[in-house]
Amino acid sequence: MALQRLSLRVRQTINHARALHSTSFCQQQEALADHSYPDQFSIFRSPEHDPASQTENHIGQFYTVPASHIHTLFPHGLPLRYQQQIKTFNEACVMIRQPALEVISYLKQTDYNKPALRYIFYGTNGSGKTMSLCHTIHFCYTQGWLVLHIPDAHRWVKNCKELLQSSFNSARFDQPLQATEWLRNFRITNESFLTKIKTKHRYVWTKREFTEEGSLLGELVDQGISRVKSSSDVVGAVMKELRLQSGQSDAAFRLVVAVDGVNALWGRSTIKKEDKTAVDPDELTLIHNARKLMKNDWNGGAIITTLSQTGSLYSPKLSYRPQELLGQRGFDCMDPFIPVSVPNYSEKEFESCYLYYIDRHWLQHPQSHTEEGKKELIFLSNRNPWMLDKICAFL
Amino acid sequence: MASYSTKAFLILGRINISRSRLQNATNRATYVSVLSMNSPTGNRASCRYQVGVPRTEKMPVDQDWTAVYPSAAPFRPNAVPLPVRMGYPIKGGVAPDKKANLELIKIPNFLHLTPAAIKKHCEALKPFCTEWPLALDTDAKCDEHFPIKVQTTHFVSAGPSLRNPSARIVHLKNYDYAMYLLTVLYHESWKIEGWEAEKTVADMEEYSWENSPSQRNLLDTLTRMKVVEEEGGEEVRQQLLGQAEVQEYKDSVTRLKNEGENEDTLLQYKEAVKKVLKL
Repeated sequence: MALQRLSLRVRQTINHARALHSTSFCQQQEALADHSYPDQFSIFRSPEHDPASQTENHIGQFYTVPASHIHTLFPHGLPLRYQQQIKTFNEACVMIRQPALEVISYLKQTDYNKPALRYIFYGTNGSGKTMSLCHTIHFCYTQGWLVLHIPDAHRWVKNCKELLQSSFNSARFDQPLQATEWLRNFRITNESFLTKIKTKHRYVWTKREFTEEGSLLGELVDQGISRVKSSSDVVGAVMKELRLQSGQSDAAFRLVVAVDGVNALWGRSTIKKEDKTAVDPDELTLIHNARKLMKNDWNGGAIITTLSQTGSLYSPKLSYRPQELLGQRGFDCMDPFIPVSVPNYSEKEFESCYLYYIDRHWLQHPQSHTEEGKKELIFLSNRNPWMLDKICAFL
Repeated sequence: MASYSTKAFLILGRINISRSRLQNATNRATYVSVLSMNSPTGNRASCRYQVGVPRTEKMPVDQDWTAVYPSAAPFRPNAVPLPVRMGYPIKGGVAPDKKANLELIKIPNFLHLTPAAIKKHCEALKPFCTEWPLALDTDAKCDEHFPIKVQTTHFVSAGPSLRNPSARIVHLKNYDYAMYLLTVLYHESWKIEGWEAEKTVADMEEYSWENSPSQRNLLDTLTRMKVVEEEGGEEVRQQLLGQAEVQEYKDSVTRLKNEGENEDTLLQYKEAVKKVLKL
């Protein structure tokens, strides 16, 4: 790590020195790039932009997600650095990788009358689990499924500014801010479904407010967004409704539950009660309801999750395997699940990413275009996608 | 006329030493002179006793080394024909050589345990030994037939080194008492106490799949997959448990929990889950 930092500083100084005549360099590089890589333009870009028709031949290639999809599907799901990259490059290119393709193939084959299958993406930090999850969700979205995406379960167990005692069950705690934020994003993603699905139960919020049976899901969600105090319970109600309805034969939709950082549901939390004792995740309404979703007692959909050590609390830095992060309770809840390993980039994938950065003129440093520079990048990043992104940001 | 040489003696002890050395000298009369201030090192130069040729010069190459060092003895520079050096190097030079090197004398040496010496020891011990039984050729077989190992020592270590673990310590061992203890422990271990029934899952040494949450989850999932036949109850359960895929799943989960997670076990678990859930 120190070595990397040192080399980064060195590169920074080189960059600053070269910045004196950077514009001419850029132009030269652009000319060079256009000249020497015209036929390689298509090597790293996939001709297939529809996740449903991507096959193993396309592994390593980038496909573009249309901007409209990004705005609806991912108001809150993508990693922060990737969102910045989208803004910079003006396009959202996702690399097609084997783990995501595997899960998509399973999704294509499953019989949806059976209980929901659970998939867990696991891998070391920065190996592309969240991106794989987003790829699979994009596939589900293009197939017309209802996407219930919890972007980062870790955010529900830490840094909670407001903790209310739940009106429904006084032993539990509500998190109104997080709940409203999630409901808002959920509404953006599933606009079309909200007008079609009707509730099957009656919900009473306060003495005067209640939601009748048969009212639209959209109304329920609006209720939650406007009445912040009961938003956590609304989230619970929404989850329950969707769970009950997705398996029915008359259901108009299939449900995909996507949770990033699912190990937060069975971990520890840093939220403190007023008497400074720690809150068990069990006692949080949002977490309680999410756990109920994770059980496979409903059918007509799939549960796709990732494990994340990066945001997790009280877990060792190097742990990445399912049992290590999920713990005993988590494993017992999620069992049986299909673990899908997300490794670092293979050689082909690294090549592809490298060519993509060059094509986008992201790698400005002249030495990064040479073979030696490429070897240096491989060495420094160990082909870890996150590390590669961090290093290339300086070049 | 007796010629005399002046010496300066700083310690009384030195007078005695030099007097004994001077017995070799011929026709010398020594006078103790307190006032004479000759340098102390001048002693040696003017001492002129005959220093013999070191034994190493006279050693033939094919000598019997076991005769030179038949038993443990301190390092003698004149008896060891090796140009050894030991110690912190002097400035601009190398470590001091073996002549009068305290470092070499302090440390234990194994000059008396060369392979030739050990061969001689073995030959001497052979008349007292019997043949090793050929059937006991692996450690595992030895442990199986002779599980109890008794170690007796009939001597007290009396070497010069304090660092020897058996120095100055005597363990008193009563063989009969040891056997008695072992018998008691063996019989006691078969007894089952009342509180052993309170053993919880957390106390178990190994993971067992029966009655674990994993088994419950799987049976739940399988019954839901079949959708209908919930009336069978016990029979259905037994039937489900008997399937090969379920057994495979059970093996993979047990392996995962007992051996810990690694790529191998996770892969096996994944394959087993896929088969059981018919993916």
